Amino acid sequence: MPELPPVVEVSDEARSEFGRLASEERVASVAAALESKGITAIVVNSGDEARLTVRTLLPEGAEVFNNTSRTLETTGVAEDIESSGRYQPLRLRLYQMDRQMQRREMRSMASAPDYVVGSAHAVTETGSVLVASASGSQLGPLVSGAYKVILVIGGQKIVRDLETGMRRIYEYCFPLEDDRARRAYGIPSGVNNVLIINRGVTPGRITVVLVKETLGF
Amino acid sequence: MLRGRGGLRTAGRAAGAVPSLTPAVADQPHAISMFDYDSRPITPQVVLIGRESSAAYIIRDFLNRNGRPFEWVDVEDRERLGALKGRTAVEPSQLPLCVLPDGTRLAPATVEGVARGLGMVSAPALAEYDLAVVGAGPAGLAASVYAASEGLRTVTIEALAPGGQAGTTSMIENYLGFPRGISGSELATRASAQARHFGAEILLARPVGGLSQEGAGYLARLADGTVVRSRALLMTTGVDWRRLEVPGLEELLGSGVYYGAGPSEAVLCQGCRVAVVGGSNSAGQAVVRFSKYASHVTLLVRGRDLGASMSRYLVDRVTKIENVEVRTSAQIVGVEGGTRLRGVSVSTAGGAKVGHLALDHLFICIGGVPRTHGALELGLSTDAAGYLRTGSELTATRGALDRWELERQPLPLETNLPGLFAAGDVRSGSIKRCAAAVGEGSMAVALVHTRLAETGGEIGA
Repeated sequence: MPELPPVVEVSDEARSEFGRLASEERVASVAAALESKGITAIVVNSGDEARLTVRTLLPEGAEVFNNTSRTLETTGVAEDIESSGRYQPLRLRLYQMDRQMQRREMRSMASAPDYVVGSAHAVTETGSVLVASASGSQLGPLVSGAYKVILVIGGQKIVRDLETGMRRIYEYCFPLEDDRARRAYGIPSGVNNVLIINRGVTPGRITVVLVKETLGF
Repeated sequence: MLRGRGGLRTAGRAAGAVPSLTPAVADQPHAISMFDYDSRPITPQVVLIGRESSAAYIIRDFLNRNGRPFEWVDVEDRERLGALKGRTAVEPSQLPLCVLPDGTRLAPATVEGVARGLGMVSAPALAEYDLAVVGAGPAGLAASVYAASEGLRTVTIEALAPGGQAGTTSMIENYLGFPRGISGSELATRASAQARHFGAEILLARPVGGLSQEGAGYLARLADGTVVRSRALLMTTGVDWRRLEVPGLEELLGSGVYYGAGPSEAVLCQGCRVAVVGGSNSAGQAVVRFSKYASHVTLLVRGRDLGASMSRYLVDRVTKIENVEVRTSAQIVGVEGGTRLRGVSVSTAGGAKVGHLALDHLFICIGGVPRTHGALELGLSTDAAGYLRTGSELTATRGALDRWELERQPLPLETNLPGLFAAGDVRSGSIKRCAAAVGEGSMAVALVHTRLAETGGEIGA
């Protein structure tokens, strides 16, 4: 193994700029911007409320992939998907598969789940959603693979524009995710793929649950 | 240590270096596997602590075949045990120890206890069904799909996990509609979802303790005393592996010796010397799977010709794999090992030569013994090998229909008891192939309809 790259710390400036919860007015304004871009927006007060909202959005028995996400973990959405028995959790099914014999099945299964539930790293005041991924495997379903997309986004992730959103990813999300990846997997993370959703062209396909609470990175 | 199947174990050395675009880590490629990175469960999963044993293997196999991620921790792995803070008070006599996601400890753990603890055991929802299917292998699942889709109130009772023997095969390449092949586990998962989609009820981890007649219908008594009542019953119980009669072998079960080729064991074979015994498709598929992990795989076949019972595509595949050696006319005559398998003695050339084969793992996939528990008490007719006779075979067998009271002859897949059908591997004369079992299971549903029309009463009511 090559030597691991140095750990990058979050600066105080980045923490102050990107870790602060947006005002209620700003959250409402972003929700309206998302709606104007063909993305359904539901504003909720807390992580608990977000969890209940996601339950109402996922039909019982649905095939669901939950993206790796601190937001889903802390709100209990991941637990609902993986352990409640109400859904078919694709994540567990993929994890169980034989990486030597079933690569092709894994690839197609992971690419097109019925439902994908995840989070985002930034959402702009104009209604664009930014998602970064180290492996990129989470992005295909968000773009077009999944039948429905549900994104639970904490209110601290609202930024002014795309440029600020990219800065949020590099200066704030990446160091935090990198630290998590090193602890969890023993490998560094990387901003290897970035998805920008500017508009949802299929009405009702993408739903953003905007939470008036600080959640995830 | 194994975490689930193929989990963290492969992180960091899987193919495909992923360079980062982040300035801080530019030009520092680190190998990560996309799926290892992204598919790990977020929430706590089952932890199974034990040492190599039959009891531990059965639970690993059960969890794996039911698609339940788990972490296997060898009790000698002190470092990992230490990392499992607060959960590691391990009493050697109480192994295997199973820690469920909610923290519940089962010691010693059993399949039944684990199944109950994970909420997998459910009671039948209805007082009576039109059709009870016993066994959720390919035949049983096909019957469940067709029966439920045609409006029959259907319950499928499975002792262990969906898929049967086919569910453990790594890749079925000659199954219709899957030109690139499909794994047995995936086929079982999809078929189960399909059956449930149409309204079939599938009771998992529920062994049937006995069967009896009640009027024109049947009662299936489950191990815990629960009774499932149905107007017709279909036996799709398949086969068990035939035991290999070699002194000392049974003592090493789970400690290097296994019946079948449990997918849960494949990753434990990394870099090991493996042998598979048998000439069936299951044995061939096991060889293909283990060859991806093991340093060397020996296929030991009793017969002279590998093609006698294995599909040609598999023969071609197996004989072309570099780290696979095929030995025909070969028989295991002895095992070596104290607490764990170290090797076997193999007789070749009609017993004229006996050689030593050093091994870490031995997987036995020979023949099959029909699984007819509970059915024989009913007086079902079987052939000399114990497979259930049906249809014209009954009419051709003296005495097989002595208790038959109907004017008509038994329907094609009907046993010598009206309304009790058999399909798939457990049926005498069946073709021991997945597609054939699926065909029989589907066909049985039409015959069940005929029987239900005969006995009257409303279907699906």
